[in-house]
Amino acid sequence: MKRVINGRFLLRELLYSKKQAAIYILCVSLSLVSLIAVNSFKRDIDRSISGDARALHGGDIILHSHYDLSQGLQRAVVGLTEGKKATAVRTRAFYSVARKSDESGSLLCNIKVVENGYPLYGRVDLASGREFSQVVGAGKIVVGQGVLDRLGIVVGDQLLIGKSLFEIADVILYESAKPVRFFNIGPPVLVSYKDLAGMDLVKQGSRVAYETLLKMADATTVDTVAARLRERGLVGQERVETFRDAGSGIKHFFDNLLFFLSLISVCTLLLAGIGIESSLSAILRLKEKNFAIIRSFGATGAYLLRHYLLFVLILSAVGTALGIAVGLLVKGYLSVLLSDFLPPDIVFRASAADLSEGVVVGLMVVLFFTFLPLWRINNIKPAVIFRSESSRAKKSFTYYLCIVLGFSGLCVLLIRYLGEVSTGFYFLGGILLLLLLVTLMTRLILYFLSKIKWRRPGARLAMRSLLRPGNVTQSIVVTLAIPLALLLIIYLVENNLRGTYIDSFPADAPTLFCLDIQKNQQEAFLGLVGGKVTLHPVIRARLISINGKVVNRGRELKKRRDNLAREFNLTYRDALLEDEILVAGKRLFRKDEKGEPIIQVSLLDTVAEMGDMKLGDILQFNIQGVEMEVEVTSIRSRTRSMLYPFFYFIFPEKYLREAPQTYFAALHVESEEIPFLENRIVQGFPNISTINIAETAKEMGRMMQKLSKIVNFFAAFSILAGGLIIVSSILATRFERIKEAVYYKILGADSRFVLHIFFLENLLLGLLSSVFAIVMAQAAAWSLCHFFLGISYAPGWGACLGLVGLTIIFVVILGLLGSIPIIRKKPAQFLRQLN
Amino acid sequence: MLTCIGCSQEEEKELMVESNNDGEIIIVAVGDSLTAGYGVAEEESYPALLGKKLKSEGYNCRVVNSGVSAETSSGLLSRVGWVLGLNPDIVILETGANDGLRGIDPEMVEKNIRDILFRLKEAEVITVLAGMKMVWNLGPVYVKRFNGIYPRLADEFDVIFLPFFLKDVAMKSELALSDGLHPNGDGYKIIADNIYPYVLKAVIKKENL
Repeated sequence: MKRVINGRFLLRELLYSKKQAAIYILCVSLSLVSLIAVNSFKRDIDRSISGDARALHGGDIILHSHYDLSQGLQRAVVGLTEGKKATAVRTRAFYSVARKSDESGSLLCNIKVVENGYPLYGRVDLASGREFSQVVGAGKIVVGQGVLDRLGIVVGDQLLIGKSLFEIADVILYESAKPVRFFNIGPPVLVSYKDLAGMDLVKQGSRVAYETLLKMADATTVDTVAARLRERGLVGQERVETFRDAGSGIKHFFDNLLFFLSLISVCTLLLAGIGIESSLSAILRLKEKNFAIIRSFGATGAYLLRHYLLFVLILSAVGTALGIAVGLLVKGYLSVLLSDFLPPDIVFRASAADLSEGVVVGLMVVLFFTFLPLWRINNIKPAVIFRSESSRAKKSFTYYLCIVLGFSGLCVLLIRYLGEVSTGFYFLGGILLLLLLVTLMTRLILYFLSKIKWRRPGARLAMRSLLRPGNVTQSIVVTLAIPLALLLIIYLVENNLRGTYIDSFPADAPTLFCLDIQKNQQEAFLGLVGGKVTLHPVIRARLISINGKVVNRGRELKKRRDNLAREFNLTYRDALLEDEILVAGKRLFRKDEKGEPIIQVSLLDTVAEMGDMKLGDILQFNIQGVEMEVEVTSIRSRTRSMLYPFFYFIFPEKYLREAPQTYFAALHVESEEIPFLENRIVQGFPNISTINIAETAKEMGRMMQKLSKIVNFFAAFSILAGGLIIVSSILATRFERIKEAVYYKILGADSRFVLHIFFLENLLLGLLSSVFAIVMAQAAAWSLCHFFLGISYAPGWGACLGLVGLTIIFVVILGLLGSIPIIRKKPAQFLRQLN
Repeated sequence: MLTCIGCSQEEEKELMVESNNDGEIIIVAVGDSLTAGYGVAEEESYPALLGKKLKSEGYNCRVVNSGVSAETSSGLLSRVGWVLGLNPDIVILETGANDGLRGIDPEMVEKNIRDILFRLKEAEVITVLAGMKMVWNLGPVYVKRFNGIYPRLADEFDVIFLPFFLKDVAMKSELALSDGLHPNGDGYKIIADNIYPYVLKAVIKKENL
């Protein structure tokens, strides 16, 4: 009986493929390390971000109302706390005018009355360093520094709030649970719940935000409990939110970060797969002649397949073992090494579960991505000995079954990493589309290149070498272009996330908003605040119709986010702001034949999208009783955050100059100086309201810094891993092209000529791969930013050009380096080696 | 109806003159979000409901909504000229709530409303002043000072006075939006019914002039 496995054959194959096998092992281990690292980091970051969101909202579940909780909700909360399923803390927040004990001054303050146990998550830092729970209570309150500065009092003084006299016990330095998207008018004051009744401020006729915060004993029950509470709440009056969905601005922001991390996981997975596939393909292509010879001696395709399956499994096992060994070796040092790059509360903790998951996923990736190259062995005919072209695999039912099974496995992995079935399918569909596009593009370009008559012999030979029948140019271009595109997608998405969230919170962001500055107060106000401050005119108006179609207010008001039915702040000016760019229209406003601007409006892209408005549309506004029709002549986009003033609709000055207006100013003032400036403004202009957003800006800035580190680290890590995989792919495909050099040498070409041909060949391969990668990455990154992340998109052409340059350099250098030993030696030696 | 405000001064004046030759009485409802109808469809706001009611009762009146959300009394004072440009016969004046919610000194609010009433009087416009009461949480001292403004000014200028604009509506969850502050459609129906007799008084006064 025939032996199933021939040990000597297998051993010989392993020994004679040293170089290629080493690259394959490197690919497997690198892929495994990247997968394990990315996934375990992702989990830690997920945990950390969830912690931040909990601290920000103060609980797992937040019940919010402007009235006392309804009986149904109250009973549900009592049921949860009595059953030890949750801890609850009540808060009451409202504005009140606090007075100095001698009645010599008063100030509007943002009062929050809190029960014992507050905060459930996060912290309240006090200037004295004492515990918050030890300080507040029984007539003692803690206040923001602004209260002291603006009223000219100190810790230990007394403050009248409602009917109670309180002692100021401490100063709040930091409070994690505060609504980040909300700009508070007055400085904060925290009061104990025991003192609520004494103040006599919360009763019929008061406007109060009633909140109950819940901390669940079992974190996995948050969503189900929230859904149950939602059913009990009064629709339109009581809001039940979880820390994940409370505050849509913050949610959007966290969701985007988590999606980016998932995206990196998936890209790493695919990069790893491509690396494995390309290095194995290279090994097998080189051995095609050997396989044909073995087949001519009577070996079956199944015999070869069996041996090479084992061959791949042995190499993969070595790669996996190496990956785990390297992972374990550096595990202890990673936290230390990366401490400068990661936020302090995130450490690298690759658990046994992470490792085993990594191994299982790695094995699935190996099986899927090695299937196609291995299947080809099955169909190698002995006639290949006489031809210099690759054999084509015969596609049987088993082949398609295996493809379907493998594909399903890959789908499961993608869905697991992306967290959603639809997103997984979109992503997979996108990848397949990209693959199809790049294949078609390569074919098309190669076809056109074959039609060109090249005059210079070097170029002609290089082209013929690339275009000969049975060539591997197309697969090399695809193999290089796909990972390059994946890397570029990561870079572009990271860059746009950074542009939207991180860079838009610079150190000089505004810290104080001033509203309601009157026309006749402009000069005096500027004199008081000093410096260069832009006063933005604000004119209130409603949008009535778009191209004669009346805005459907009923439908618009149901929109969860912004809507077209509300009143808008119009403004006028004749130039773009520093952070604005035109995305449609040649200039902000068009001029008529006399050089005067016609009645027109410039839209911000966000509002244009909201109403599907475009250039040339006619909008009708009602400006406080006066109607006005205008044409859209430009659309703008902006590059900064919500902390900078922005306007949806800008008119030419001439047309709104006389309309009723107030002015708005956004100032950057150091936070410690704000209370004094606020005092001066209020004394000089009692009608002007000031909003201190220094705390909000600081908090946003802190979070952005943290995110910046996470995004940077992940992008850098995956780009580095991907870069190494690409280098190994280039190395693997390099062997394919080396034998060409041998033939040239045999035919009498000198070294310079061979190098010249190789240079041109590699130049074209690098150029094609990188250009295709850019086209694919731009399309994919734009779609991701536009459809999934909902952020504006900047194409980053500089980076794209850099990618073209780097790819060409890499491909050319590695290609030429590979050919040098051939050029130096006698061709006969290589002929022997090749055979 | 006006369609253009972007014209030369002369053109503007010409256009700003409303065509009330047919004896139609122009009523301009000026105020903040409570007048503008924040959060409800425009046809549910009180000026729209009031206009419908007057029409159905056979009065030749047109009610123009000139409410501006988030506006304070200072903002309104600065646009009185614009309001007068609408050539109103009657003005329903509702302002001050935002001043109170921002804790602005009641003395300042009183001065602004006084100046507005003075300008309206000067322009011989019949005024219906809608009184406002401040939310209790701002504290008893502030609330007392604020609530005193409206009856005092109503006396001083001898205007038609609705003591509390949000009577029977304020603090009733079933009549408010989820913010607990702005009325919903049902709330506005009550407001329109409450204000109707006062506006009618103004309309009769105008017809008798």
